[in-house]
Amino acid sequence: MDREEVFWEYTKSICPVCKVVVDAQVNIRSVDGRGKVYLRKRCRRHGEFEALVYGDARAYLDSARFNKPGTIPLAFQTEVAEGCPSDCGLCPEHKQHACLGIIEVNTACNLDCPICFADSGHQDDGYAITLEQCERMLDTYVAVESEPEVVMFSGGEPTIHRNILDFVDAARARPIRSVVLNTNGIRLAADRGFARALADRDVTVYLQFDGFDERTHRQIRGADLRERKRQALDACAEAGLTVMLAAAIERGLNDHEVGEIIRFGIGHPAVRGAVLQPVTHAGRHVEFDPLRRLTNSDVIELVADQLPDWFRASDFFPVPCCFPTCRSVTYVITDGEDVVPIPRLIDLDDYLDYVTNRVVPDPEIRGALEKLWSASAFPGTPATDAQLERAACGIDAPQVVRDLAEGAFMIVVQDFQDPYTLNVKQLMKCCVEEITPDGRLIPFCAYNSVGYREQVRQQMSGVPVADVVPNATPLRPLLRDSPYGSRISADAEDSEAPGNGGGDGRRRIAPDATNVGRRVR
Amino acid sequence: MTQRTGPTPPPEEVKSCCAAAYSSDAATAILGGHYHPGGTALTRRLADRLALRAGERVLDVAAGPGTTAFLLADEYGASVDGVDLGAATVAKARASAEATGTCDSVRFHLGDAERLPFDDAGFDVLVCECAFCTFPDKATAAREFARVPRPGGRVGITDITLQPERLDGRLRGLTGWIACLADARPVDDYRELLADAGLHARVVERHDGALATMIDQIEARLRAFRIAHVDVGTALELTALARDAVARGDAGYVLLTADKPAP
Repeated sequence: MDREEVFWEYTKSICPVCKVVVDAQVNIRSVDGRGKVYLRKRCRRHGEFEALVYGDARAYLDSARFNKPGTIPLAFQTEVAEGCPSDCGLCPEHKQHACLGIIEVNTACNLDCPICFADSGHQDDGYAITLEQCERMLDTYVAVESEPEVVMFSGGEPTIHRNILDFVDAARARPIRSVVLNTNGIRLAADRGFARALADRDVTVYLQFDGFDERTHRQIRGADLRERKRQALDACAEAGLTVMLAAAIERGLNDHEVGEIIRFGIGHPAVRGAVLQPVTHAGRHVEFDPLRRLTNSDVIELVADQLPDWFRASDFFPVPCCFPTCRSVTYVITDGEDVVPIPRLIDLDDYLDYVTNRVVPDPEIRGALEKLWSASAFPGTPATDAQLERAACGIDAPQVVRDLAEGAFMIVVQDFQDPYTLNVKQLMKCCVEEITPDGRLIPFCAYNSVGYREQVRQQMSGVPVADVVPNATPLRPLLRDSPYGSRISADAEDSEAPGNGGGDGRRRIAPDATNVGRRVR
Repeated sequence: MTQRTGPTPPPEEVKSCCAAAYSSDAATAILGGHYHPGGTALTRRLADRLALRAGERVLDVAAGPGTTAFLLADEYGASVDGVDLGAATVAKARASAEATGTCDSVRFHLGDAERLPFDDAGFDVLVCECAFCTFPDKATAAREFARVPRPGGRVGITDITLQPERLDGRLRGLTGWIACLADARPVDDYRELLADAGLHARVVERHDGALATMIDQIEARLRAFRIAHVDVGTALELTALARDAVARGDAGYVLLTADKPAP
């Protein structure tokens, strides 16, 4: 009898419950008449787990061409000891430098969203970094990148940190090209002076924006924030701030709104892009089925289905600097009425296919496109707008059309990994890094999935933090609530998750349970 | 469907108009440097199907700005002559050859496909991409295609295929000619024209998707122009008609190779 799946590759992942490193397989099988990609793994203690990682097997396989050789950072912060993902980071085996560095300034938030990968909220047992710590984190970033492309301040809710503008100034005082602030917009809506202060400092706003239905707001954010979002965007427009809308998309919740989010963004004077992220099932989130979760190809198809006059799935191209299945991007020229995706005007295959291409038409245009198809791209920043101008030269069209490309609108689809979907192959080429107060750069998905977030919070706050486990339907019998609304293993002590030899304040991350290094007898 | 007979200009006028249109900035703007469906990927496939080898002499008929000629010289090591009917196009291609220092391996000539300015049997391979359909006297052009390769040489064509009786009247006339559609033929006609000239078909491959993609690209450019407040007239209606024709299977794109028998 034949198996019902194609065994595609062997890799490593973690047990979503106890976070030990386990062997994993990527398999392709046909579901509902089309090939889909699944990651399967087994923990000796907690059994077998499987999650959908890409809804379109053909696109998954085709994306392999869009894989750019990595760049070596100027320095590494850790050594290779246990192997990926236990040595973050970055360790010398990491395959890419940091395109985007994230500094989380606090764990506190003025919302308690049912969906929050950072597990933040009205909590008094978290931490907030000091200006001195922030400066050290920025210095670490500059030391490894020399001239970092972009730093993003996040949280918690960074706008409620009383030093947030000092942090921005500290970043501005260093050779970092762009500063992005990740916010829910509540302070922007209420405090016009704050919007002006950000505009004076040339900050790009990354605004959480999940849709338009009241139900969407209540189920994802726990409150109807529609009016606040409108006020925040108006304040940004008035102050001259550039905004990227960032939407967390959950199946059955707001997946019908992705088209409207893009349409709205294209029509709003402050908005230059939209980032659509399948909900990261790390931290706090609503119950989900790992076999039916949203992936990048699903979100791209939703966009094409909901805006058929504007988009086709083929308008989106994988980002070559990270692992190409992690992020897909397109840019469009638009007058608010009609939309033309730039990949229909420049043949991106000619430039971003690193495997089958023999001749690149123009290295300078490739260079610009590489910067645009990257985690460091934020339209409206001088750096990204300059790359748009350079890439526009690749459009064989009169200057009037090229001029439009310089004001292009960006759409990003990004599926962050979680403890269910984590594949070290993708992780090893991650270019989005969390900068920690102790001077490490930890790949964002490792930080959220493997136990680093809990480790750092425990170190910084002195309060024990158990490993967070995804709120997946098949795991429910094994789980109980954490103090922050996320789920933890039912047999975890609050002070110590299983497998974490503590004591020195720095817990052991993801001990190895793969078969590597063991003899049969 | 209602058939409307558009104005059909006399052959000579068509040919020079067509070449002039291809060489004009307007055509560059609309076609964006992709002068034929399938782009360089299909050019490589054609070269591979012809088993093109280093050192072979190639004639590229309707060479345009030389994209294919440079590719065949650069990637395959061929020695390429390009011929085109547009004086400005030839001048531009020559300038590119000079600028890139490739004059030794690539040369461009002004000339007519129906009276190729070359001796008999001087080439190993002849290629012609998306241009045969525009030649008013296809039988004469086919005889020329058979004349200039050596015995045992190969001819490779990629071109639009069409069921002419199903063509929408609005696609006729000059705009139709520029878009390469109006005098395209069914694939069997091309085979017969080549066979009558003494060329035996070897490979026949359909690449209809390449044509659909090119129509999409043209449409995207036209919409970009419209966003930039450039008047595009009725061009978008024509691209819609062309797309419908491809979807119905009435229009397509073919890759065809043929051999000139050895004596």
